[in-house]
Amino acid sequence: MKGAALQNSIGLALPLAVSFVISGLVLLGIGENPFAVFSLMAGEAFGNALRLAATLSAATPLLFTATATAICFRSGVFNVGVEGAFLVGGLGAVFLGFTLPASLGLALVPICLAFAALLGAIWLYLPGALLARYEVDEVVSTLMLNFIAAAITGYLVNGPLLSPVSGNNVTPLIHEAAFLPRLMPPSTLHAGFLIGLICVAAYGLWCVRTPSGFEGALVGLNKRFSRAVGISVPRMIILVMVLSGILAGLGGAVHGLGQMHRFSDGFSPGYGFTGMAVALLGRNTPVGIALGAVLFGALASAGTTIQLFSDIPLDLVNIIQGTVMIFAVVEIGHILHRRKTGGKTGGGQYAD
Amino acid sequence: MLIEQILVSTLVLTTPILLAAMGGLVNRQAGIVNIGLEAKMLAGAFVAVIVSSATQSWLLACLAAALTGAGIGWVFSLTITRARANMIVAGLGLNVLVAGAIGFILAWVFSSSGTLRQPDVVLLPHILPQAIDRLPVIGPALADLDPLTLLSWATVLALPFLLANTRAGLWIRATGNAPQVIRALGLDGPTIQDASTAFAGAFAGLAGAHLALASLGLFNEGLTAGRGFIALAAFYFGRDRPFQTAMACLLFGFLDASQIRLQTTGFPPKLIGMIPYLMVLLALIFTSIRAKRKTMI
Repeated sequence: MKGAALQNSIGLALPLAVSFVISGLVLLGIGENPFAVFSLMAGEAFGNALRLAATLSAATPLLFTATATAICFRSGVFNVGVEGAFLVGGLGAVFLGFTLPASLGLALVPICLAFAALLGAIWLYLPGALLARYEVDEVVSTLMLNFIAAAITGYLVNGPLLSPVSGNNVTPLIHEAAFLPRLMPPSTLHAGFLIGLICVAAYGLWCVRTPSGFEGALVGLNKRFSRAVGISVPRMIILVMVLSGILAGLGGAVHGLGQMHRFSDGFSPGYGFTGMAVALLGRNTPVGIALGAVLFGALASAGTTIQLFSDIPLDLVNIIQGTVMIFAVVEIGHILHRRKTGGKTGGGQYAD
Repeated sequence: MLIEQILVSTLVLTTPILLAAMGGLVNRQAGIVNIGLEAKMLAGAFVAVIVSSATQSWLLACLAAALTGAGIGWVFSLTITRARANMIVAGLGLNVLVAGAIGFILAWVFSSSGTLRQPDVVLLPHILPQAIDRLPVIGPALADLDPLTLLSWATVLALPFLLANTRAGLWIRATGNAPQVIRALGLDGPTIQDASTAFAGAFAGLAGAHLALASLGLFNEGLTAGRGFIALAAFYFGRDRPFQTAMACLLFGFLDASQIRLQTTGFPPKLIGMIPYLMVLLALIFTSIRAKRKTMI
């Protein structure tokens, strides 16, 4: 156990260290003091209660998308379709949020959340079932489904669901009864953050306390062994895909009901992919995911303010995020020891 | 008249997808699925605009774009083949990283957000005498023919031969399909893979150069608009065979061209944009089910 914890913390530290070195070099290149910029960013992200609230607000969608990614990666299912399920769930929840009668009151939010979870589950059940039954490569199928989700939701907000009153590419606002309550006005931190934390905790409990969670890890570690001890691998694949869809759909719903209050063309600036970076950085562990989500939330919220105050381009955040994604999957042990693991490159090593 | 216009725009819009797909196809034959084509296209377009403006030469601009793409591809490949990074995540990460780096340079060096306009950008020349546009139907398309379009179709014709009959082609295919053969021959599989990723990067860079220099003459952050992924869809759909992949590219180019036209008739363009991805999904399902049936019998 001690070894695993050590490995996890190295896994967390290496990509971060590399990305801070790279972005530090970029900052040096433009004549800024990297330490000054990073401490400014830390101050902007965590300096006082309101800034912390902004950071946690930016972290909220990532809690969902990262958990949705981790639950699949952990079982060796390479689902990159969280982005699509997030969009579909978000639009579904928002749609009910402005079409159902406002008189439903308190019941409105749970109905919207449940509908989004259902849509997300159906959206990822499809590639899950195709992988389980016919070995349809899940990377390509989920990647394609992302574009299809973006096209369908994009068509709907520009056509049938377009708001009749306000400009372009947005749906009408949802009823106020469907708003998730704000936790710390004037910041946008909303109850969705708590729901996200509950989801991460539930994922953690599922991993270590339930038989199916244990079986999921086994399938990720060794499919042949799992089959030998009587675990149905196809059933496990479908299960983790559906759970991933539920989480991603909920994430979209929470973002719609708590943050945006409507669906628009740029509803998700790649939360699904950032969530993948978070899950990899956190090595699929619940604590790692929570910390990673807060870190990326901090980058996003501090990035906007440093652009305002020090004219350092916001794109620095993307440089950091891309580097983290690449180096989170690099096997440092392989470079150090050149040990032979046999398996083919790519595939398999993302699940710890 | 209408047919001629659609033919012209189909040909122009196919070229970038086709170039990127040919590179990605070779890369996949060597066993690497290149999700980072989009990043290399974007970098190629960016460099092409700068070099074209600075040197007044479209040829140097294309070479610079190809070199940039190849360089990025090479480094990207090292993380996969030497440091055993997962190629899908690394590819998605590369897309984020390169988009961020270009945005950063745009904002810092050129103090502009999203678009780069440079003075006197030299566009790709038309290689045939313009009088040819008097030919019926194909005339205007031929008059618009640029060197990169010619290169892309020449590649389609040459690749089947190169892959099947040359030493390098056999090495590439063996690396992807029978790595144990490469090891038995004492060849360096990872280096062959790196070379194929650099090749894919160079072609993706050229694809970017075509996007920027065919008619626009400027760079925009949204210039590639997912074409790297369309190219991926094309070689998945064409199952890594050059001719079939080129036909898929032509179809996607045609959809792209008709999308602009159908917009005026009120047909939702977003739904047309979805077709390539839907086709790949259906083709993938179809071929997998058929393969599964075969193994069961």
